[in-house]
Amino acid sequence: MTKWYNTVGEAGDIVLSTGIRLVRNIEDFVFPCRLDSEGRQKVSQLVRDIVFDAFPDEFCYIETDTLTYMQRLSMAERNIISPEFAGRDDKNGLILSSDENTGIMLCEQDHIRLQTIMPGLCPEQAYEYAGKIDKAIAEKVKYAYSDSIGYLTQSPSDLGTAMRCSVMLHLPALSDMGRLPRLARSIRSLGFSIRPVYGVHSRTPGDFYSVSNRITLGIDEKTAVNNLKSITSHIAAQEHNAASLLIEDEAWQDRIFRAYGILSTARLLSYEEFMQLISIVRFGSATGVIDVPLEKTNMLIIGGQPATLSVIKGVDDTSTSRNAARAKMVREVIRER
Amino acid sequence: MLCQNCGKKEATTHIKQIFGGEMSENHLCRDCASHLGYGDMLPGFGLNISQLLSGFAGDFDLPAPARETLRCPKCGASFGEIVSTGNVGCSECYHTFYERLLPIIEQTHGKSRHTPSHSSPVKEKEKTKEEKIAALRLEMSSAVSREDFETAAALRDQIKTLEGGETQ
Repeated sequence: MTKWYNTVGEAGDIVLSTGIRLVRNIEDFVFPCRLDSEGRQKVSQLVRDIVFDAFPDEFCYIETDTLTYMQRLSMAERNIISPEFAGRDDKNGLILSSDENTGIMLCEQDHIRLQTIMPGLCPEQAYEYAGKIDKAIAEKVKYAYSDSIGYLTQSPSDLGTAMRCSVMLHLPALSDMGRLPRLARSIRSLGFSIRPVYGVHSRTPGDFYSVSNRITLGIDEKTAVNNLKSITSHIAAQEHNAASLLIEDEAWQDRIFRAYGILSTARLLSYEEFMQLISIVRFGSATGVIDVPLEKTNMLIIGGQPATLSVIKGVDDTSTSRNAARAKMVREVIRER
Repeated sequence: MLCQNCGKKEATTHIKQIFGGEMSENHLCRDCASHLGYGDMLPGFGLNISQLLSGFAGDFDLPAPARETLRCPKCGASFGEIVSTGNVGCSECYHTFYERLLPIIEQTHGKSRHTPSHSSPVKEKEKTKEEKIAALRLEMSSAVSREDFETAAALRDQIKTLEGGETQ
């Protein structure tokens, strides 16, 4: 399968990806916060053997101390691992599918943190796939589980299904029209939350947002997955309406072509400028104003992230080198026919 | 520490993020965290739940030194340690400290009872062979009706294997 960010799935003009994350612990071992290095190794070995046995040739095993800090940061930028996992210098196990869309972080916050990402809006398929791996592991080990509070996790906030389902959305029109705060309130009242993917508060370049379930206890997996799908479809419909109004405005069309002009000619592109411009060009592509394939914009959004740029293009981690390498990559990709 | 967003209130939510090629930690007050979609941020996604746990311990049940003698028989954690780190030590801690963890669980999720899915692997293990075969048959007919014959064939093989095990 292709990496999620190199392709476009269902409702791909707005939904970049769908993710499912399952957290599990093995009954025979104490949780990672109290597990010694020997125990961590045993858990990692056990899970690795089960997954390799059940899915031969689909996964590889990486010990994170063999990666550079920049490689780990890049994996976090590509949503393969969590920022916490990327920040750890010690030896940790990671099971990763060859397309990098599915990964299992071992002994991170919990023994098993399995996540799978697929392009577009496809929570059922992503859940089904993650469920297959979950089931294969469950057949060989006893999970820490209680009938009353579900899967037992290191943090009480993950109890219950211990599942997060999420989508990554591009919402430039709703954002421009100032409709996001109201939308966020409605989403929250439905047990979900919306937040920026890149940046937290004042620095949020681009209009990329993640919507995920807040609650894991008292709601079963299928309901959570179905709710995510309906909420996302509802947001997508609102974004479509807002977008159709915006693109009638000549000033917006001008913004799109100007952004394209800069991206296809600039020699230096800072991260924040790039994210703002690629978001505008992606909007132009999604609405048919400009002829740039969405696949290219998705690939550039991930490829233009600073650590990923350093790793892929082999440039040092100074902003000058990165800005030049980013501008060159963007020019080449965006002009290519 | 003051909130990085409003600069007025005390920051209580700390979010680790990769931004601009660097690991950064963002500190937000409760209101801004909620406004920005991090009001219910959970560990692994950011928020340090130890503050919530500590808040609860302060409001209801601050562990008195005498009570600290109670430790989880499996991992040795005390309730105080769980509160200060925000991490539960092992599955047995949930039994040992259930009564004291319950208000925190309710506060976090708004509910205190799990809704199991019939397809959950744990529930799957508990099913009898007949129940498993019945569920697989149902899945097989659904696969046939949507003309997904590859899945249907795989399901048929699974049913055969289960039935074979039965006759042995």
